Amino acid sequence: MSEVKQKPVPKPAPESAPYWAAAREGRLSLPKCEDCGENWFPPSRTCPHCLSSRVTFADVSGRGKVYSFVTFHRVYHPAFEGETPYVVALIELEEGPRLLSNVVGIPPEDVRCEMPVEVVFEDVGDATIPKFRPRQA
Amino acid sequence: MNIADLSSDLNAARELRDYCSVVGTATSRLGRVPGVSSLDLLVEAIRNAVDDAGLKASDIDGVICRGPDESYSHHQVVAERLGINARFSTTLTNGGASQILAIAIATMAIRFGLAKTIVCGFGRDTWSRTHATEEARVRNETRPASQRPREFGPEYGYFGATAAHGFGATRHMHLYGTTRDDFGAIATAFREHALRNPDAQMKKPLSMEDYHAARMIVAPFGMFDCSLRSDAAGAVIVTRTDRAKDMRRPPVLIKGFGTFNNTRGWFNDDNMVVTAAKQSGEAAYRMAGLGPSDVDTAQIYDCFTYMVLTQLEDYGFCKKGEGGAFVSSGALRLGGALPCNTSGGQLSESHAEGMLQIVEGVRQMRHLYAPERQVKDAEIALISGHGGNQVCHSTLILGKA
Repeated sequence: MSEVKQKPVPKPAPESAPYWAAAREGRLSLPKCEDCGENWFPPSRTCPHCLSSRVTFADVSGRGKVYSFVTFHRVYHPAFEGETPYVVALIELEEGPRLLSNVVGIPPEDVRCEMPVEVVFEDVGDATIPKFRPRQA
Repeated sequence: MNIADLSSDLNAARELRDYCSVVGTATSRLGRVPGVSSLDLLVEAIRNAVDDAGLKASDIDGVICRGPDESYSHHQVVAERLGINARFSTTLTNGGASQILAIAIATMAIRFGLAKTIVCGFGRDTWSRTHATEEARVRNETRPASQRPREFGPEYGYFGATAAHGFGATRHMHLYGTTRDDFGAIATAFREHALRNPDAQMKKPLSMEDYHAARMIVAPFGMFDCSLRSDAAGAVIVTRTDRAKDMRRPPVLIKGFGTFNNTRGWFNDDNMVVTAAKQSGEAAYRMAGLGPSDVDTAQIYDCFTYMVLTQLEDYGFCKKGEGGAFVSSGALRLGGALPCNTSGGQLSESHAEGMLQIVEGVRQMRHLYAPERQVKDAEIALISGHGGNQVCHSTLILGKA
């Protein structure tokens, strides 16, 4: 039962391994095209903006805003029992890409679309996952 | 020349207008049908549709269906149980957009001589799979294993379709001031329709107070914003209109269809507030030579209340951002300006991933209902299908012959 109660940890695809390795070191690092300079998410080995295969990972600001969010009341996984209600948000980074995360450090009922946020890192098992907290605009 | 410009191909699409008709339609038993697999539910619906058309299984030479996500080459197993070989046979994987896509492909296959009479259908045993036993309830998840992400979701406690669509609802509320009262207007209207439908899964009236009192699932969605877990299947039979005239039922014309897929993703661009109903609807209107003001009844893919609201905007029944006022005006009720999901929809009749919307659209165009269920004088029905990670969309326009 204790296994079931453990929170899911990311099971990275090969192309997203650098993202999770950076998170483990407290960095938010996204794929970046060496030809056109664009960032994107989730990671892949071909640039979706110009189809270049010259792809690297580069640290981003970690600043963004809440594009949209939902508040979980139902427990879908036993490890989240006792945590409801919690917010899952789609964060739009200053660099453009959007990524899913939690908004922490604020009551769920105070979360708003367009709220400025910044990244914080949280350990889950052997992984470190980026989350976001409110910041002064 | 812009290769994305379709204008020079419009005549080709127009040739398909009215070329085929739906000549048979039926469902399986709906709601809670324990002990029957999704495959047998689909075969039951197809058999009923063949009867409805006054045909025999051997008259069918094409099968297009969407199987349960776990199954391989599902269409073959369906045809085997029907005891037929098929000139044209395949399985689609566009989620809830597959069912109308099946009819589109059937029409094209018939037009170009690949088959004569094609059955399109879908069945699922979701209620049995998730509710029939305690074990099923415990491991109950919204998505089958093949659709469960391994990263960028579960570690944040992000699970299921309710949350995915909820993002769109929150964003729409932020941009346009849409409220849960507006969502409630949709849920209560469709329940009212289900109460007129003896086959509907939901039998109890639903008031606005009941809607607001229900527990929250993933806010902004409460229980009555979410579609049903159902055992349900439906089927339609498509053939050439000139061949349809001698059949048992009045043929229902396939006037237009269209597809569009926001394959860049639900989280990208503004896809969660302007769905692919927009472009898929425009394509269907173009083929049919019609527009939103010609539509007498809409059968909209209602996996969640919000999805009805945004699609009604995207189809042009009201302006973007005005969906809240439109649905709260009572327009969607039988007798209203645009009777919608007149059999109760996936929120209150049963959920078969858009298949039952098609069945209801056909039945409304036949005018065989008693007056309390019939959309009066209806000549055009618009039907929507949505799915495939929230971005695949298909639109069907049917007409009274």
